Amino acid sequence: MEAEVVRTEMVLPTSLPFKRIQMSDKYPKGQSRARYWKHLKQLLQAESFSPDQPNYINIESPPSVYPSKKFCDITGFEAPYVDPRTKLRYANPEVFKRIRMLPDEYVQRYLSLRNAAVVLR
Amino acid sequence: MPSMAKPLRQSDYHRFSSATPIVIDNGGSTFRIGWAGESDPRISFRNVVQRPRHRSTGETVTIVGDHHDPALMRYFDCTRTSYRSAFDSNVVYQYEIMEYVLDYAFERLGAGGQVDHPILMTECICNPMSSRSKMAELLFETYGIPSIAFGVDAAFSYKFNQQLGICNEDGLAIYSGLSTSHAIPFLMGEPVIDACCRINVGGYHVTDYLKQLLSLKYPNHMASITWEKAEDLKMEHCYVALDYASELQLFKKGTKEAEEKTRCWQLPWIPPPQEEVPSEEELARKAALKEKQGQRLRDMAAAKKSIKISELENELRGLEDLLDQLEELDDHEVSSFLSRNGYLSTQEIDSAINRVTQSLRKAKGENDENEDRLDASPAEKYPLINVPDDMLTPEQVKEKRRQIFLKTTTEGRLRAKQKRFEEELQREKQNQLDEEKRLENPELYLEQLHTKYKELSEKVDQRKRLKTNGTRGNGNQNSSGGVGRGERLNAAQKERMRLLTTAAFDRGKGEDTFGARDEDWQLYKLMSKDGDDDDDGQEDEAELARVTSRLQDIDPVFVPKPEMSPFQGSGTTELPRLRPLSAEDYQIVLGIERFRCPEVLFQPSMVGIDQAGLDEMVGISLRRLSSVDDSVKDRICTSILLTGGSSLFPGLDARMEAGIRRLRPYLSPLKIVRASDAILDAWRGAATYATSSQFSSQTFSIQDYYEKGENALREYQIKYSL
Repeated sequence: MEAEVVRTEMVLPTSLPFKRIQMSDKYPKGQSRARYWKHLKQLLQAESFSPDQPNYINIESPPSVYPSKKFCDITGFEAPYVDPRTKLRYANPEVFKRIRMLPDEYVQRYLSLRNAAVVLR
Repeated sequence: MPSMAKPLRQSDYHRFSSATPIVIDNGGSTFRIGWAGESDPRISFRNVVQRPRHRSTGETVTIVGDHHDPALMRYFDCTRTSYRSAFDSNVVYQYEIMEYVLDYAFERLGAGGQVDHPILMTECICNPMSSRSKMAELLFETYGIPSIAFGVDAAFSYKFNQQLGICNEDGLAIYSGLSTSHAIPFLMGEPVIDACCRINVGGYHVTDYLKQLLSLKYPNHMASITWEKAEDLKMEHCYVALDYASELQLFKKGTKEAEEKTRCWQLPWIPPPQEEVPSEEELARKAALKEKQGQRLRDMAAAKKSIKISELENELRGLEDLLDQLEELDDHEVSSFLSRNGYLSTQEIDSAINRVTQSLRKAKGENDENEDRLDASPAEKYPLINVPDDMLTPEQVKEKRRQIFLKTTTEGRLRAKQKRFEEELQREKQNQLDEEKRLENPELYLEQLHTKYKELSEKVDQRKRLKTNGTRGNGNQNSSGGVGRGERLNAAQKERMRLLTTAAFDRGKGEDTFGARDEDWQLYKLMSKDGDDDDDGQEDEAELARVTSRLQDIDPVFVPKPEMSPFQGSGTTELPRLRPLSAEDYQIVLGIERFRCPEVLFQPSMVGIDQAGLDEMVGISLRRLSSVDDSVKDRICTSILLTGGSSLFPGLDARMEAGIRRLRPYLSPLKIVRASDAILDAWRGAATYATSSQFSSQTFSIQDYYEKGENALREYQIKYSL
C-alpha cells in the first residue's frame, strides 16, 4: 500500500486487537459475497408479533385522511388534467405540449417520482 | 449532511475507567461515538461503507465513511462500488457492514486491547427482535462488550431538551430522520410506545426528490447534480411553505416575491475564447498577401496565354506557307505534296486555317464573330443542311450531321434565352403592376400581400408536411419505436411501394389477365412516378419567394417565417443548437423546488407513499393515546418538540403549528418548540443518560445474554427517567 494511503488512515485494518473474532475468520474469502442478509420486509415476515403490543408494523401511520392533491409532474403546480397516453398530470396546455415531446424514458422517470411508473417484471 | 472532518484517532482511550460507558448514536445517516458525560461525540462519520479495489494490486479494501481524499481516487477504483449502508429503512439488517462500521469506530476511538466498556446504543423505536438480537450477538461475541443498553434516539433527544427546560414532562417529540419520521408522545417523562406513530418519509426522500427533479429539468447537467450536491442544496435553500397552495400561486403568477425567492446555482463555466477582431495591420497584411497570390495567378495565366498565342501563330504561319508552296506547285504534284504533309485536300487546309485563326482570335480575347454570323445567315453557316444526302461525299454527310446537331443546340439555347427574357419581362411587369397597386392604396396592398404570403406559405408547408408524411407531431411514439423502414418514405413513395409489391405478388396467381383492360396500363404510370414531379409545388415556391422578397422590400417589420422544423416547440426543454452557450446555460435555478421538495414530509403522496403527513401524524398519535383524557392531551400539545436532521427546514415550525391547529379543538393550547440542536441532541441525551448512577441497572449484560439467551432481549426495555 502506498505511503500516501497509509498516512490518510482511511483504509480499515484487516485485523484489530480488540476483536475476539476477526473479520477474515467470520467471513472467509470468497464465501462472504454469497452471504445473504434478509431485508427488512423478510425480517418482519419472520417476526412473531403479538397484536396488542406495539411493534414495528402497527406503529406505522395509516393513509392520510385528507384527499391527496394532484400536482403537475413537470412544473409542480396544481394539475387539473391528466394526459391519457402518458398518464402524466399537467397544469396547462403549454406543459401538455412539452409532455408530448418528452421521450419515453423521461415520462417513466417522471412517473417513478411518484411511484406510478410501469414496472416490468 | 455536513462534510465532516476526517476523524482523528483518539489517544486518550486508556484514561477512561472500564466503568465509563461508550455512547453510540447509530443513526441512519451519521454514526456518532463518544464517552458518557462528555458534551460532544468524539467521532462522527457518515454511516456508510465502500469497498473499492486497489488499482494495481486488485486487492479489495474497506473504507468506512465518505472520504474525499484525492489519494482514494488515485489508488482505488471507486467507479464500480458505491456507498453501502447497514440500514434498510431505519432498521439495521446488514451486519457485515455494521461490523466494519463498529471496527472503524472503536479503532478511531483508540481501543487497544479489549473494548471493556458498557455500551449505550440507539436504535429505532420498536426495532424488530431479530435486528436487536443480531446487534447484541455482534457486540457480545465479536467485541466482548461487558454490557449493552438500547434506547431510542428520539427519546434521548426529548429527555435532553427536557433537562434544558425547552419541553415539559408531558409532551410529544416529532423526530424526522433520514428515512423515517416519528411522533412519540411522552407522559411523566416516559415515552408512550403504544401511541407512537411512524411514517416512512424523511430527509432521504427530500434529497432524492430534489435530485431527480433537477436532473430531469436539466438533463445536460445531470453529472453535476450528485447526491452530495443535492444534499447541500437542500440544507442551504429548501424551506417549508406555510401554505403550499398559496406559495404555488405566487410562483405560478411569477410575482416579484417569487422572483426574489428564486435561487440560482452557477455551474463552473468558462466562456469560449473570444474571436479577436483583427487589427488594421493584420488586415492590410492579409490583403497584400491575397493580392500577391492573385497577381501570381494572373501572371501565370498571361504567360500561358502568350505561349498559346505564339503556338497558334506558328501553326498559322506554317499553314500559310503550305498554301504558298501549293500555289507554286503543278497540278499533278499537288496530291502527293498534300499526302506528304498529312492533308487530303486544299479545303482541309483552308478549314484548318479557319479553325486556327478562330482560336487565335479567341485566345487574343477578341470577340467571336461566330455568334453574330449565326443570326445573320444560318444558311451560310450551315451550308450542307439543305443539300440532299445523295449529292454529298461521305465526309460531307458527316459534316452535315455535325452541322445539324450544332444548329439544333444553338437554336435550343436561343429559345431558352428568349424564354428567360420573357419571364423577366413578365416579372417586371407584375412588379410594376404591384407597385401601381401599392401606390394606389398602400395599406390594402400590404394586407393583401400578407394574406397571400400566409396562404402560400401554408400551402408550401402543407406540401412539405405531406412529403415528410406529417406524423412528426407525436414525437413520443417515434422516439420509442425507433426509425423503421416506413419512416423514411413519404406518402406518395409509400403508395408506390405498395403498388409495386402488390403487382409483384399478383403475378402467377390464377390466370394472368393483366393488360386485358386498358386501365391496367395506368398502373405503370403510377409506378414509374417517383414522387419528385410536383411542378405546381415548385411554382408555388417560386411565387412564395417572390412575395417574400417583395414584403421584405416594403415592410420593414416583416420577418419571413423560419423553415418548419419537425421538432419545433421542444426548444423549451433543450438548448437551441446554433446559439453559443452562455453562463445562463450553466445555471441551475431553484424556484418552486425550494419548497416543493420538503413538502414531501407533509404530503407523502407526492412521492407515492400513501401515509399521513408530519402534522397529521400528531393527530394519529394523540388518538392512539386512548386512555388519556383531553386535559392531558391539551397539556401534551403545549410541549411539542421538533428534532432530527430533517426538522431543520426553515418554516417547519410555523407549518406544523398551522397543521396541528387544524386537528385540535378550537382555541386549544398549542406550543411547538425546536430542539436546541436537532442533530446532536440524541447523542447528547444518551451521553447524559449514561452518566446516571442507575445506568448499570438498565443494561443487558453478557452474562444475561449467555444465561437467558436472546429471548430475554425481547422484554428488555430501558426506563428513560432515572
